[in-house]
Amino acid sequence: MTAPLLSVRALCKSYGGLRALDAVDLHLATGEILGVIGPNGAGKTTLFSIIAGSMAPSSGQVLLDGSAVGGVPAHRLVRAGIVRTHQIVRPFANLTVVENVTVAALHGKNRAHGPARVRAAQVLEFVGLADRAEQLPGLLTLAGRKRLELARALATVPRVLLLDEVIAGVNPTEAVALAALVRRIRDQLKTSIIMIEHVMPAVMSLSDRVLVLDHGKKIAEGTPAEVVADPGVIEAYLGTASGAAAP
Amino acid sequence: MSEATPVKLPALVPLPVAAAFAGGVVLLAAAPWLLDLSPYSHNLVTLAFMLIAGSVAWNWMGGFLGQVSFGHAAMFGVGGFVSARVLLSGPVPAPLAWLTGGLLAGIFALGAHPALRLRGPYFSIATIGMGEAVRLIFTYWEDFTGGSSGLSLPIDVDMKRQLYWWGLGLAALVVAATWVMRRSTFGLQLLAIKADVDAAGDVGVSATFYQDLVFVLSGAVVGVSGGLYASYFSFIEPNDMFGFDRSIAFVLMTVIGGVGTILGPVLGAVVFVLLRQYLLASYPQLYLGLYGGLLIFIILFEPLGLTGLLRRLGGQVRRRLVPARAAGEPP
Repeated sequence: MTAPLLSVRALCKSYGGLRALDAVDLHLATGEILGVIGPNGAGKTTLFSIIAGSMAPSSGQVLLDGSAVGGVPAHRLVRAGIVRTHQIVRPFANLTVVENVTVAALHGKNRAHGPARVRAAQVLEFVGLADRAEQLPGLLTLAGRKRLELARALATVPRVLLLDEVIAGVNPTEAVALAALVRRIRDQLKTSIIMIEHVMPAVMSLSDRVLVLDHGKKIAEGTPAEVVADPGVIEAYLGTASGAAAP
Repeated sequence: MSEATPVKLPALVPLPVAAAFAGGVVLLAAAPWLLDLSPYSHNLVTLAFMLIAGSVAWNWMGGFLGQVSFGHAAMFGVGGFVSARVLLSGPVPAPLAWLTGGLLAGIFALGAHPALRLRGPYFSIATIGMGEAVRLIFTYWEDFTGGSSGLSLPIDVDMKRQLYWWGLGLAALVVAATWVMRRSTFGLQLLAIKADVDAAGDVGVSATFYQDLVFVLSGAVVGVSGGLYASYFSFIEPNDMFGFDRSIAFVLMTVIGGVGTILGPVLGAVVFVLLRQYLLASYPQLYLGLYGGLLIFIILFEPLGLTGLLRRLGGQVRRRLVPARAAGEPP
């Protein structure tokens, strides 16, 4: 196996007595989509916040291309190629859609390649928001704002894209379209992706591998088919079958 | 995404705007010769120029970055006292003294760096505390500021006359810089920080660096205007220069004119100077209370201040003109 693009080793995060993450390991190969699932409060978003540099780990390591990036602030990780989106979309409400993306296009790998605004317009084309460029984000539908969140992340030309529930919350038609967009990001832009998602059909069809977190611990990892058959995963989601006839 | 889509980039400074601006500055520069200003008006206009520069610079922080400072008097005072000390130290050209004052005031503004952990009202409250601490320190530092009896500079009538143009120059420079800033990617990043400092960091904006940079720039301009003020009035005193009233004045001028706009602080400073002169003369006991009322009124009814009011009027005029053109059509 070739060296992974991103790996996380024995990552821990405690808030006082609460262990939000407990010795989590993961690795992401170039061009891979890794799904992260788990019940509410499992530590998924904490994991993202640490990988993206929004918070420092209590212990453990994050390695990008073999060099440690744990605790490096978010804006510098963007330059290194790690960028995240937020579960609750956070557009810059006072800037137009294209200005939102322009801010991001000023940073990251491609920052010297032509005017940021031109590159921002290209990214908007890619995510299907070109006709909304001059609007304020408040006028977009939720699905539109999720696309904007994606566009802003893509404008930095990431190597590792962390997607925090980009599909959840939109109507089924839009969910299918957003899932297709995630696939295009990987296939056409060759971006490696870790996605937290609650919409199971989307995770299962998009992910090459799935990692399951529960109470801050990794309880399973494998192909989507392996993970859904895992007794530990079923227990975490549905509880134990107490009183039911178990084989 | 590799397909190059033609995108029209907006001009940084559209020609009509630049022409109107240059024309206005030339007219103002010629005013002392054309109008034969009375000493009183000369005084008022010069003071307005200094306050325009200061409030436009305050707006970089309060309006663009979204960090509302109630402590800008600190930089005004540092600029004023440092320039005064430099001028008193020997034959130094006045502009050099002002620049020194501005430079030190800019560096001094970095003292607010620890407050960057705070945003919104929390930041503002911290600046009140820091501003008052600075005022007390400088009031008791008698060797430097002369304490409550202040510092006097030799009165120079010719310099006083010239300061009209120095003030105008500073105000014009700062307004032009704001225009460019607002339309550049630099301004875009400041507005992104204002909207959501964490999300800005997540797309690569180094929020701390930009905030520090704006602190320095804003503090330096306010410091230079403090230096001009010291030279113009020939007497400065820490409780006036560093006073909370003065910090409030920067907030008021910008809020009256329109926070986060380019023209707002300019309009606000002009209205503030005129209003203050009138209110101080007519209702010396009431004038602060009237300002408070005005502030509440503006925040409630027109958050963008005079600029918002002008935009609204402009919109109404346009709406009235459009139906007039379409009057021939059947309903």
